[in-house]
Amino acid sequence: MISAARLRRSLVLVGIAAAVVLPARLSAFDQDQAALAAITGILVISVVLLSGYVGQISFCQFSFAAIGAFTTGALVDGHGWNFWLAMPVGVVAAAGVGVLVGIPALRLTGLLLAVLTVAVALFFDNFVLATNTWPAFSGGSTQWHPHKPSLLGQQLTGEYSFYLFTLVVLLLVVALVWNLRTGKVGRVLRAVRDSELAAGTMGLNVTAWKLAAFGLSAAIAGLAGCLIAVANESVSAGSFDFLHSVQIIAIATVWGVGSLAAAGLGGIFFVYGPELLSKTPLSAKWFPLLVGAALVVQLVYTPEGIVAKTQADIAHLLHRRTRVPVADTSMVEAA
Amino acid sequence: MALLEITSVSKRFGGVQALEDVTFEVREGEILGLIGPNGAGKTTMFNIVSGVFEADQGHVRFRDQDLRGLRPHRRARMGIARTFQNLQLFQRMTVLENLMVSVDAFARRGLLADALRLPVARFEEKRADERAQSLLYFLGIGHTANTLAGDLPVGLQRRVELGRALALRPTLLLLDEPAAGLDARETVDLASTLRRIRDRFKLTMLLVDHDMALVMRVCEHIYVLDFGRLISEGAPEQIREDATVIRAYLGEAA
Repeated sequence: MISAARLRRSLVLVGIAAAVVLPARLSAFDQDQAALAAITGILVISVVLLSGYVGQISFCQFSFAAIGAFTTGALVDGHGWNFWLAMPVGVVAAAGVGVLVGIPALRLTGLLLAVLTVAVALFFDNFVLATNTWPAFSGGSTQWHPHKPSLLGQQLTGEYSFYLFTLVVLLLVVALVWNLRTGKVGRVLRAVRDSELAAGTMGLNVTAWKLAAFGLSAAIAGLAGCLIAVANESVSAGSFDFLHSVQIIAIATVWGVGSLAAAGLGGIFFVYGPELLSKTPLSAKWFPLLVGAALVVQLVYTPEGIVAKTQADIAHLLHRRTRVPVADTSMVEAA
Repeated sequence: MALLEITSVSKRFGGVQALEDVTFEVREGEILGLIGPNGAGKTTMFNIVSGVFEADQGHVRFRDQDLRGLRPHRRARMGIARTFQNLQLFQRMTVLENLMVSVDAFARRGLLADALRLPVARFEEKRADERAQSLLYFLGIGHTANTLAGDLPVGLQRRVELGRALALRPTLLLLDEPAAGLDARETVDLASTLRRIRDRFKLTMLLVDHDMALVMRVCEHIYVLDFGRLISEGAPEQIREDATVIRAYLGEAA
């Protein structure tokens, strides 16, 4: 019998191989789209971390991404910085703003937290990124056009090579978050999610951990933003508005906030969904409606998300669930 | 020597005086009982000691240090651990993970060591796993290690709460109605477990219960709360005979 862990490892390896090989045959346009799908996957992971592990919600992930993108745009295009220097600045800046948003979020959960993060997103859309507010950051009436970077002497200007670069970053982020999840930090975050009261009395600084989660999630979103900036080689406020954040949340929820595999699938869905729709009698404009409908159907039938549901089904098929012995409550004397 | 000193503590919630001028102390190594009918202020006292909220008046001193202003995790680090009457396990985590949270609550390794899976992280992970496992076996619930805590029956959940508190290696253990929901035989088992815990881990316990069965079995000294005031104290035999206590418990019928 195949063990679940081994099956998962094989599936992951096959998935990575397919992600490397298949896009090589695609058109340049589709390779660009594939890079955007990988970057969107990074954004979905930022939601998985915050919502799936810590039980918080944020409707301003694209605002965090915007910080990364506009920092990259301003530094690379405006000041002639190297992308590799600008990117960490963008990530740290996004993390800093994430912690700031996390401070009022400390005392809020659920609906009120959602409203707070919506307010942050709208503040970015209508003020921070508005043309006249801060031209040194937003680029004013002329957009930033940061060039694609080079890596180890290789220019990443080719569509396929840039795609591979984004894929590697996505996999690194997945590995990082996976390690966090399976180690002490993941346990701590899930403990805070399940009972803040108990987590505090068990010696955990609940405040610090929640802020760390917000900061880390914002940092990952900011990293995605830096990549978006160079992927498009232009940075415009329209690509980072509130509605994008809502769609990312919806997609992460549909595929499952508890799962990292959701990230890859969610990214592909987000980028290719509108395109597939445009080939049908409908147009790409129907995509948000489709996402909304999928969300409703999924919330009714598989609240844990499509990926988690499928994983559970596969595990169920592989070996019948062993029942937990609950009858035995007698004390066993310590040896 | 007094490990925990409660001096003139009062706490009011709106129109309800939950605690009024309560003074007592817990000496090192003893199992002290705090009993009283429902609503007498027992859980409020626990919440004040563990830092969930502050007393309006009075002082709580632990090892000669005033605890005022210290948040719960700081008090846990000083050696105060507790269980909860209305179970507060991490429900969507396994029993083993519940204990491991406390085992390495004070571990130094953080985000970076975990994200990069440094050797120190793997080493400490293994150690935490072993320590949590051995505690589960000590408590006789080794077989539940990989079950989600929320899926266990209440009796076992109480035992997991006990294990999670012990995993902090506390010097003072606060037990909030550990016998609630247990049948007579389980209560007897629990009493012997608590004595074994005290002897093995050399710790001090403050035990709250409204049911006298457990308290009478394990406590050397008992304080009785009623409507937020201490109405009596003494050895179990004395309390059993105390007319004030019987009246508080049984009301007019006595």
